[in-house]
Amino acid sequence: MARKLIFSIGIMALTLSACNMVSKGLDPRDAVKVAVATFENQAAGIVEKTVIIEGTVLHTCKHGGKRMFLVDGNDSVRVEVTAGKDIPKFDEKLVGSRLRVLGVLKEEKIDEKYLNEWENEVKKPEENHDAGVHTGAKGHEDQGTQDKLDQINSLREDLKNSGKDHLSFYSIEASKFEEIKK
Amino acid sequence: MQIKTLRRWNNAIHRDTGYLCIGMTLIYAISGIVLNHFKSGDLVHPDYAKSYKEVVVPLPKDGNVTEAYVFSVLDRLGEKDHYKSHVLGTKSLEIFLSMGSVYIDLTNGSAQVEKKTPLYGIREFNLLHYNNIKKLYTWFSDLYALALIFMAITGMFVLKGKNGILKRGAWLTFIGILLPALFLLFYA
Repeated sequence: MARKLIFSIGIMALTLSACNMVSKGLDPRDAVKVAVATFENQAAGIVEKTVIIEGTVLHTCKHGGKRMFLVDGNDSVRVEVTAGKDIPKFDEKLVGSRLRVLGVLKEEKIDEKYLNEWENEVKKPEENHDAGVHTGAKGHEDQGTQDKLDQINSLREDLKNSGKDHLSFYSIEASKFEEIKK
Repeated sequence: MQIKTLRRWNNAIHRDTGYLCIGMTLIYAISGIVLNHFKSGDLVHPDYAKSYKEVVVPLPKDGNVTEAYVFSVLDRLGEKDHYKSHVLGTKSLEIFLSMGSVYIDLTNGSAQVEKKTPLYGIREFNLLHYNNIKKLYTWFSDLYALALIFMAITGMFVLKGKNGILKRGAWLTFIGILLPALFLLFYA
């Protein structure tokens, strides 16, 4: 009985691990190479395109690890990378590692309606952490309500000065990544 | 089917479902405590234990951060062998170590050394609790949730008499529903 049970569990484990290995992925040959330093300038023209980028992990989100930020040498430009469906999480051990990431470039449009909804979310007793714009700056996850309201007001100002009906924030939804060893 | 036979089946199914749920219940309960205290701010990270030390380090000569400066700081802190990479900020420098980091304020030389230790086991439990792995696990965890609902219902009919659902059980069930309702009423 015990042997049969162990055998069945073994078969189940093998089946599950085999299912896990089946990943369609994206073909890197189709990917547009982007650099951290020029990301903001390149992004607008390649929304929804497959991209490949290299950078050092500055920060991973501690609320579930679904987000990380890449920099290159200095932190003046931080590229937000979110975990696609085949990536369980970005573990904190990746912080400081040099990564090559393959994914799809996404655009998030921030307009007046979005800012109003975000403001309402911030004022709730139990805030939804996924709401709002994540900057990756040191301590941004520990911001208090007032800091977030200040950030919203600053974005309102940017929106007004832009003369457009929205601000664009770009990120990469990663499908694969690998560590680049020195 | 007689009530006695029904109760025997109810108890047997309740018992076996209970055995099957032990593993997942422990995973969700342990991870639940950790995530609870992480959300309430008692823990800085749900997967890692972290400690911090404040130190003062010399500032770079001429204000230029070079690799030699980075290694001189790490040498001073005894962390030279743990160097991973470093990133320069406007007025700060962050040096990443294999299990931590050093954050230096380049205006005054004050530095914070962070050390982190993975919470082995709990880190994996959190991965399951957040359903980060998705795929088949989504269905498996749904099945577990349904099993818990099933256990709650069958649990009401395990005993009869003074400890059954119509007497002592009714009061305890009522208290168990009332308590979360009160939290919602006063805090939500």
